[in-house]
Amino acid sequence: MGASKNDLSRRQFVKAGGGALAALASASAFPRRVSAAETLTVADAGGSITTANDKVLYEPFRQETGIDLRAVAREHEPISQVKAMVESNSYVWDVCALTKQQALTLDREGLLEPLDWSDPHMQELIPAAKHPTWMAHSVYASILGYRKETFGENAPQSWADFWNVDKFPGRRALRKHPVETLEIALMADGVPLDKIYPMDLDRAFASLDRIKPHIHVWWTGGAQSVQLLQSGEIELQPMWSSRLQSMIDSGAPVASSWNQGVYAVDGWGVLKGTPRAKNAVKLVSFFARTDRQTARATLLTAGPTNPNAIAGVPEDRRIFLPTYPSNLERMLASDDGWWIDNRDAAIERFNTWILG
Amino acid sequence: MTSESLPDIAPLHRRLSGAWRALFAPDWKRSWPILVPLLFLGIFFVYPVADLLLLSFRAPDGALSLDQYAKVATTPVYSQVFFITFKIAIMVTVLCVAFGYPVAYFLANTTPKIRGRLILLVLVPFWTSFLVRTFSWMIILSYNGPAHSAVRFLLGDEAKVKLIYNMTGVMIGTTQALMPLAILVMTGAMQNIDRNLVDAAATMGARRGQAFWRIYFPLSMPGVAAAALLTFVTSLGFFITPALLGSPGETMIAQIILTQIQELLNWRLAGALSLILLIIALVVFAVQDRLIGSTGSTQSATATEDITALSRFLGRIGQATLAVPGWLTDKVADLIEQIRPPRADRPVRPVMQWVLRGFVTLVVLFLASPALVVIPVSFTAGNFIALPPEGFSLRWYETYLGSTLWTQATVLSLVIAMLAGILTTVLGTAAAFVLVRRQLFAKRLVLALFLSPLIVPRMVTAVALFYLFAKIGLIGTITGLVIGHTILALPYVVVTVMSVLKSYDVRLDQAAATLGASPLRVLSQVTLPLLKVGIISAFLFAFVTSFDELTIALFTSAGTVTTLPKAMWSDLILQANPTLAAVSTVILIIATVAVLCSEAVQRRARRYSK
Repeated sequence: MGASKNDLSRRQFVKAGGGALAALASASAFPRRVSAAETLTVADAGGSITTANDKVLYEPFRQETGIDLRAVAREHEPISQVKAMVESNSYVWDVCALTKQQALTLDREGLLEPLDWSDPHMQELIPAAKHPTWMAHSVYASILGYRKETFGENAPQSWADFWNVDKFPGRRALRKHPVETLEIALMADGVPLDKIYPMDLDRAFASLDRIKPHIHVWWTGGAQSVQLLQSGEIELQPMWSSRLQSMIDSGAPVASSWNQGVYAVDGWGVLKGTPRAKNAVKLVSFFARTDRQTARATLLTAGPTNPNAIAGVPEDRRIFLPTYPSNLERMLASDDGWWIDNRDAAIERFNTWILG
Repeated sequence: MTSESLPDIAPLHRRLSGAWRALFAPDWKRSWPILVPLLFLGIFFVYPVADLLLLSFRAPDGALSLDQYAKVATTPVYSQVFFITFKIAIMVTVLCVAFGYPVAYFLANTTPKIRGRLILLVLVPFWTSFLVRTFSWMIILSYNGPAHSAVRFLLGDEAKVKLIYNMTGVMIGTTQALMPLAILVMTGAMQNIDRNLVDAAATMGARRGQAFWRIYFPLSMPGVAAAALLTFVTSLGFFITPALLGSPGETMIAQIILTQIQELLNWRLAGALSLILLIIALVVFAVQDRLIGSTGSTQSATATEDITALSRFLGRIGQATLAVPGWLTDKVADLIEQIRPPRADRPVRPVMQWVLRGFVTLVVLFLASPALVVIPVSFTAGNFIALPPEGFSLRWYETYLGSTLWTQATVLSLVIAMLAGILTTVLGTAAAFVLVRRQLFAKRLVLALFLSPLIVPRMVTAVALFYLFAKIGLIGTITGLVIGHTILALPYVVVTVMSVLKSYDVRLDQAAATLGASPLRVLSQVTLPLLKVGIISAFLFAFVTSFDELTIALFTSAGTVTTLPKAMWSDLILQANPTLAAVSTVILIIATVAVLCSEAVQRRARRYSK
């Protein structure tokens, strides 16, 4: 594990030829970006997420520690950017928001810094949130969303209902990605939650075969899924709970069911070798704190991973959290370990299946 | 033409001697202007990208290995997606050129004033960001949208017509995005066609249809070939529009490559797929070039000396084939005149002129239709991009204009686009002059090199540039973004200016030279003014490429520089909201004002010169 020869070749590339070009650059008037050693850079999802994070996480950190911090938007899939930074030794970011699958992929190549698991707040977290180089601070879920006027009282409540096109007619969408979709297909086929992993791919694709002719749209991006349900193009689909909640908050006539949702964890990692690693690790421990998690969960309806945090969230917001007990107990925990081992093959098979 | 423009289809011994001459003849010295763009491309594109792509030949332990290529060959999904990608690119190219040609013809042959106004409308898709454009189509074509409602009204509710989330949706979205490019390239080339040639044909008895198809049409081929080439190569890299408007059946290879890079961190497979894409695309280009012969080599009616038996044969077939549409056009015109005979009390107008006008109106309406959604939606009082807008308010304009983040991003994008536009136009025009007018060794290869930034997936270029910029301290700088955008835009400028130069009558320069003008004077007072439309189009392409570019801006700055597309993308994190529509409307207004102002300036300049 760790640094493969692949890395080595890239590092050699970084060294070789670099001299000539560096000379060229220093001779010219190219402005060199100066990164002050004491300013931490955090990469998160951007937009409204940055605004919220700044209020409940970044600003309190600045206040408490006096360490300056700036936030930049990262891409939905940021791991190639992290790899490029670590290998080229240019740490524009110090801390990056990562899902567990992203963190495990980076960790496999040795691109993440170890975290401080001796910190008392870090130790309080649920087991799924802990990994030597990565910490989860929130739980997100993929759940069933639908248009209220289409279904009225008789709303679909499970993936079996979603597959039942006679009893629940309506235009359906699924995500064009095997993660979560394969689990949903197995649940629709009657596999109980505790028997989903390791996944029986043959059974999952057989189940998907049955629903495929009834899928109106295969969506690829989160904003697209919102537009589809909001405009009425789609009447029922699985989608991320935070987006569903933000739609409901903006007044869209849609509702959701937590039943058989698939939840996974979102968190933070520190870039391997950053000169500001000490403060970066400190920041991640700060994110684990009970009071910070309570504040973030209240603002963003993202489920906290510190079990003590949920009590502080107002009752009327609590019910929207994926980690609210009555929501969590009806959902499936995504097995990211299984995905890391099987993802390449599953994606290839999914892409083949969907074209066939 | 002179011996400078020998066609490449020459017998082998001649070509070899040509190469010999090119290497050692004085012409090589006169080709120096191409060295600057070549060096630029070499440092900022070929070197970093080749390094990344060559990873595909390495095993994880560093040894030489073809395992990634074996994987591509043995897994059917990759060849399937390649096939789909090329199929879509060819279909889009045919649609853009076929529907764009009449518009370009009309633009090239109308008054400057009408041309200015119409180009403004044709360019609407350019000024609405690709994100906004795609969301507009999602609304227009959706189940409850206006286009679909119209179809259901016409065909009844049971009609199972689907306009989106299938190939139809992909074709509509992609064609609308790329047709302005095809139209502008063709217009630029057509403007240099000597109308007297068509009139001469008419005096010799050719009817309008025959005169058009057998004289004008063949003369417009350099423009058509250039337009087809740029549309084809650009559409190869499209994946966001097909992903949002199509079904899984329209998966493009760029999407697969993106997944390999970004999600699976498998840069070796991504490199293999990109290299295969590059090679296939360049083979397609070489074949097209050999058959039509109008992009890599200069062909003109006077250069008969080197025409081989094959090309003479192809030429004959071409002439014979073109007689058919000529005959058909005249017949249709006759038919319409029989239905509605010309009368003394009505002005006499060629019937085909009216058909053309009707057609141009329809195409322009099609191109502008997303703007017809964007503008009303920007005034909505509601929270969503939806039709009809809920009430009226200026709140989204307040959000946009009241936020320094948005206004700074807009200014920054305008500055970067302007710098990248100028740099690209200078470098690309220099390259185009040498490629068209000088005998250059391996000319086709050099041209292929200039095209490749369009073919290599942007994500690959972005990753490669990051490593390079890391070494020379350009990460997160404006200089870095300008360089990245210049690379992407260079193919547009090179091909566009080349196509204009090819239909340019060199005898005008020669005449000026005979009258004693120095080479510099010829260039500045004869050649460049005559090429103005083509060069302005080329600049516009470069400007817009930069103005609407997201991948390179996001990756090479690691999110630290906020350009307008990045601000829009970041705003889309949770949902598409009407701010994006307000931004697009403001950009449309800025573009319109800019065009109208430049028109006014030109009018005044013309009055002064009189």
